[in-house]
Amino acid sequence: MQNLIQKLIALTAVILTAASAYAHTPLCSCYDNGDGTVLCEGGFSDGSSASGVKILVMDASGNTILEGAMSEDSEFEFDKPQGDYKVVFDAGPGHEVEIDGSDIVE
Amino acid sequence: MSDFLKKTSVAMAMSSAILSAGAQAHFLLVYTPKVMLEKPAEIPLKLVFGHPMENGHTMDMEQPEQFFVKFKDKQIDLLNTLKPVTWKGAHNDAKAYETSYKVKRNGDYIFVAVPAPYYEKGEDIYIQQITKSYVNKGAMPTGWNEPLGLATEIVPLNKPYQNYVGGTFTGKLLSDGKPAAGIECEIEYINTKVDLKGNAFGKENLGDVPGSAVVSITDDNGMFTFGIPKAGTWGFACLGSGPVSEHKGKELSQDAVLWIDATELK
Repeated sequence: MQNLIQKLIALTAVILTAASAYAHTPLCSCYDNGDGTVLCEGGFSDGSSASGVKILVMDASGNTILEGAMSEDSEFEFDKPQGDYKVVFDAGPGHEVEIDGSDIVE
Repeated sequence: MSDFLKKTSVAMAMSSAILSAGAQAHFLLVYTPKVMLEKPAEIPLKLVFGHPMENGHTMDMEQPEQFFVKFKDKQIDLLNTLKPVTWKGAHNDAKAYETSYKVKRNGDYIFVAVPAPYYEKGEDIYIQQITKSYVNKGAMPTGWNEPLGLATEIVPLNKPYQNYVGGTFTGKLLSDGKPAAGIECEIEYINTKVDLKGNAFGKENLGDVPGSAVVSITDDNGMFTFGIPKAGTWGFACLGSGPVSEHKGKELSQDAVLWIDATELK
């Protein structure tokens, strides 16, 4: 029951956020540069910049390895972690993009 | 004197009407099969001069004057990457060109071909179709609705790479950057399968060929709108909208061509 309530609250939050502030969706793509670094670029579906948007790099257990923000050019570059990882582009509730490290290729 | 002018203008209007009736259905294709990419990809590009709605005669192309891709504020010259190929039309073989391009970063990629003027014997005129095709990567819009500053061009007011059957597409025709009013734009789709490996059109048509050319005339602001009846690769060719009207002492029809992609919204 508590689980259901939590789900409902989460769902309501998503609906409210989506309906109020944003008529656009967050976009993020990452590339393996092939030199031990990874480049991510972000933005929004209306073409607006993601400059300053928070970006997280997490290991396989979900621990944050690295936290940063999108540059003026909506880019973020970091050293590729050893082992499994994922990137979270965090533009606020309901506006997160999660990219699995295995999908980040050259 | 005014009588003479009237007669001359009537004669000119008639001759241009006859010419445009004969000139219908030429379309320069700048074709790639997938126009919305989620991941980086090396995309094939084919430049073929044909009659896509009828799937008719394919014309020989000479080395184009320009071929480039515009990505954000960068213009990347691709002319030297073009390789001549023999394209197998449904009825004949013709000289065409191909290349490929590595799309990596998110945004709008606008491919532009400026072909060498083509001499159309049947009408004793030259035709030069300045052609734009769009590819998007990562759903990020970066300027698909901006003009490129071409001699003549159709500026899309709907995303060219994302249109739906039953919806409409609106374009704005420019000549030397200014709206071009009262120009006839012919509308066709590639009415056959495209064999990318074999560089060939299919022998069979996908659907019926309309009884006459499908056209839209640009309004006072150079705008036209078309309701999309069927999924596929649709082309718009606005005839003689360019500023150059003569080549090698003969009339030149400098046309603006734009390709869009339409799918069923399921």
